[in-house]
Amino acid sequence: MIKLLYILKKEFLLILRDVHAVTILFVMPAVFILIMTLAMKDLFDLHSTVVIDILTVNHDAGKRSAALLKAMEEHNTFRFHLIDKDTVTESVKEQMLSRDYKFTLIIKKNFSAFVNKKGKGKDENPLELLVNPTVPVQTQLVLKSALDGELSKLRWDAFIGRIEKLLAFAGIDKKDLKADKLSPIDVQYVYKGGQSFKMPSAVQQSVPAWLVFSMFFIVVPISNTFISERDQGTFMRLKSMNVSSSYLILGKMIPYLLINAVQVIIMIAIGVYVVPLCGGTALTIGDSLAGLILIASAVSFSAISVALLIASIARTAEQATTIGAVMNIIFGALGGLMVPKFVMPEFMQNLANLSPMSWGLEGFLDIFLRNGGVSDVLPKSLSLIALGLVMLGMTLILLRRHREV
Amino acid sequence: MIKIEHLYKSYDKKPVLKDVALSVKRGSIMGLLGPNGAGKTTLISILTGVIRKDSGSITVNGMDLDHEIGAIQSRCSYVPQTLAFYPRLTARENLEYFGALRDLKGKKLKESMEFCIDIGSMQDFLNKRVDKFSGGMKRRLNMAIGLLNDPEILYLDEPTLGVDAQSRNYILKTIKKINCERKMTIIYTSHYMDEIEQVSDEIAIIDEGKIILHGATQDILTRADALCGHRNLEELFLKLTNIRLRDEN
Repeated sequence: MIKLLYILKKEFLLILRDVHAVTILFVMPAVFILIMTLAMKDLFDLHSTVVIDILTVNHDAGKRSAALLKAMEEHNTFRFHLIDKDTVTESVKEQMLSRDYKFTLIIKKNFSAFVNKKGKGKDENPLELLVNPTVPVQTQLVLKSALDGELSKLRWDAFIGRIEKLLAFAGIDKKDLKADKLSPIDVQYVYKGGQSFKMPSAVQQSVPAWLVFSMFFIVVPISNTFISERDQGTFMRLKSMNVSSSYLILGKMIPYLLINAVQVIIMIAIGVYVVPLCGGTALTIGDSLAGLILIASAVSFSAISVALLIASIARTAEQATTIGAVMNIIFGALGGLMVPKFVMPEFMQNLANLSPMSWGLEGFLDIFLRNGGVSDVLPKSLSLIALGLVMLGMTLILLRRHREV
Repeated sequence: MIKIEHLYKSYDKKPVLKDVALSVKRGSIMGLLGPNGAGKTTLISILTGVIRKDSGSITVNGMDLDHEIGAIQSRCSYVPQTLAFYPRLTARENLEYFGALRDLKGKKLKESMEFCIDIGSMQDFLNKRVDKFSGGMKRRLNMAIGLLNDPEILYLDEPTLGVDAQSRNYILKTIKKINCERKMTIIYTSHYMDEIEQVSDEIAIIDEGKIILHGATQDILTRADALCGHRNLEELFLKLTNIRLRDEN
């Protein structure tokens, strides 16, 4: 026990005195969590503060176009900036690009005629949308759907207006047939166990993603200390002191499991206490502490085992940190840590399942977002532990073959 | 006493030690000389239990290395030629760590540390990080760590490599001192012939995996006189091991 305490003390001191390791393990993920949470805040926030500014040219002299713009602005997502209706199309396009507008809406002369189904141009398309090519297709669809919806409501209301007398004759109140102002669709989020309602905020996505990412970055301090111990003959000295290979591996495993645990606590604390101070929503961590401990331990075990294997294969610390960092970034990107999995196409989502980081991320999301428990994270945890055992076995074989420990 | 008989060791079918036979008297200092790649480090690694021999027998103070490796290792200590400690820790933290791995604790650990601090003359920089040490200070710490368990046998692999004359002199005096005061058996490798002459009671020369000369230092110097015309160990060494370069592959 005394031996173990000194081993723990030694590893902790080595890490705390290694500025690069501290930066990578604690500062980098903390900064990532804050930046990504605040950057993605509006993507997840139902009360979005994102406003799409739209340059608008209104050639319509009727009242219907004004009604359309008013209805659209009630979404609180779109803001229309009207310019002189005599502006020529080329100038409109120039203004759109120079003033960094994503869209320009051109309301044609026939708009009211189209809505009222009466007058010149009543059968021609009444709207034209100019789109900046950098705009994501999803954003275009949001605007187009909103315009379609509001146009349909206007046309329906106009139709009701046209048959007003007929309705009065039939004893039907035209108000009953008017289009609903509010959306008839209720949105509900589904959680395990029917627990209380929790919003899938940016912080719920960012904390687990960057936590898993930083836990796998344990490869940097592990390979640095492991390779310097090997190259400086410390392993040889320890072997001559009757310290076994397994004990040496355990001596690495336990301190780094604790360091990963400290990472988990710090990153969660940042999500819970620091993110709200910066304007984000606070992280909620679900109700299953046992589930959280299980998935965190499994991620940690596999991350340390992968790191030990890389350290035992690499010839230099630089080689190990390069291999480790590149692997982490690739598996992180693939596993949905950098771009949420749900925005990926199906084949990429299937590919993401190959990344152990994705197993870890999904486990944390089970706990944080879906209010899952031990049974929900058990399969992912077992997969991570199995991966860790394979990596650890390979490490021991390599070390014994190279007579390094 | 250390007794080695018919010792063989190969790496990837390449023989490194071939029928090595050697005995070291209890309480003596034996200088082990040999060109690069002669098998010195392999021999010491086998004696310290770091690597396994292929065949042969080794007994250390009456204990068989094959069957009592743990007991032998607890009575021996190995100081590698590399600086085998943690540069980001202080001297005290390094001593505490290696002492704890030697199963020392409490008063015993404190006493051992005090002895090693004194031996390494490290009182003034005990709480300083080792990466700020000079080469000589690092060498002294490297040796001090090896003395924590008060070993019966101390293996020193080039303990004066890369240090200034003052530190070298200090280390050599310390080796003599602990050998005298504690009756410690010391096996000492070095490329500096004058050091070997100065501290060793007996000398063994190993080349291409074989012990080609072994005897008391005075006897060997007499033989050098007979073979080379004067009592110069280096000339004898070159005569016996040939002057061709031994660049390791």
